[in-house]
Amino acid sequence: MKELDLLKKDWQRSENSFEQVSADAIYQMIHKKSSSVVKWILIVSILEFVLLNGLSFFLNSKEYDAFVLAHPIIKTIEIINYVVIFGFIVLFFRNYRLISTLTSAKELIKQILTTRKVVKFYILWNIVFGGLTGTYTAIEGFNEGQKAANSQAELLDSENILVILIFALIIMGLIWCFYKLIYGSFLSRLSKNYTELKKIDL
Amino acid sequence: MNTQLEQSFVQQLQENQNIIHKICRLYTNGDDAHKDLFQEITIQLWKAYPKFRGDSKFSTWAYRVALNTAITLYRKTKRSINTVEFEGRQHFLNEVEYNYEEEEQLKLMYAAVYQLNDIEKALIFMYLEDKDYQEISETLGISEVNARVKMNRIKGKLKKILNPLG
Repeated sequence: MKELDLLKKDWQRSENSFEQVSADAIYQMIHKKSSSVVKWILIVSILEFVLLNGLSFFLNSKEYDAFVLAHPIIKTIEIINYVVIFGFIVLFFRNYRLISTLTSAKELIKQILTTRKVVKFYILWNIVFGGLTGTYTAIEGFNEGQKAANSQAELLDSENILVILIFALIIMGLIWCFYKLIYGSFLSRLSKNYTELKKIDL
Repeated sequence: MNTQLEQSFVQQLQENQNIIHKICRLYTNGDDAHKDLFQEITIQLWKAYPKFRGDSKFSTWAYRVALNTAITLYRKTKRSINTVEFEGRQHFLNEVEYNYEEEEQLKLMYAAVYQLNDIEKALIFMYLEDKDYQEISETLGISEVNARVKMNRIKGKLKKILNPLG
């Protein structure tokens, strides 16, 4: 077949007409899994936000509503929390966008470090914020209960600071476990990929 | 995973990357699709690399994995075949060789090849790469006789595409 021979000739002539992909770009392609980890961090953080808030929406009780009404500061804190968490989700999204369009191993390393940092701050925020509001709510709740019962017992104050501290620590510990469970494997996968990349990047 | 493995892989892939580029050219249409397929093949090659024992040449092994990836992906997308413009190919020919009639024929030929199905493309690719039937049969996992029969059918099909009335 004459045309086929012609094609073959042209095919072999065009052998060197392709834009060559650099070694660096190849490294990056085979380390693409970082971008999928970052994608999952984004997805999970959004799911967590939606599910936890959905849960508290359905579990709302009249007592709690009344309690919030009496303590407007809780409402304020909640709004601040929403804003901050929304900010984190935006950051996660930005990380995801950046990491999937990177062109060099060096930039990928940098981006992995940033992502890890953001996730750690996110967890820290949740622990501190959750611990503080949890403790505050517990103290106020206790005091209110005492007042309502007209009890002679002491209201919670500085004397019971040890109790409060232990209480706060327990709450924070629980939150820490929760996040460790969710994001721990993401973080370790990221750091594994990071050490591999670090070895390549000379 | 160790770095040495990675280094040898990247080095060999870089040296043999034209194999992948050529497969991409046959199976995709447009720059983005080309890059996507290139990346996908690279990832598949890397995943399969630990099993590559070195008892065959890297290029022979790469042909097999890359073609399999292209075929599988092509099936997944089940893209409707659209007519492809093979414009801008003139730069492959230099001034002296430029021949209008030949160029026209080539364009038609490329468009015809593009209309073949995934397996046929793989065969035509091996043929264009000047592989003998033994290597074609090993790479594609079919018998030599089968490869010959298929190749003849493809030639017939191409003729028909080029000359539907003939």
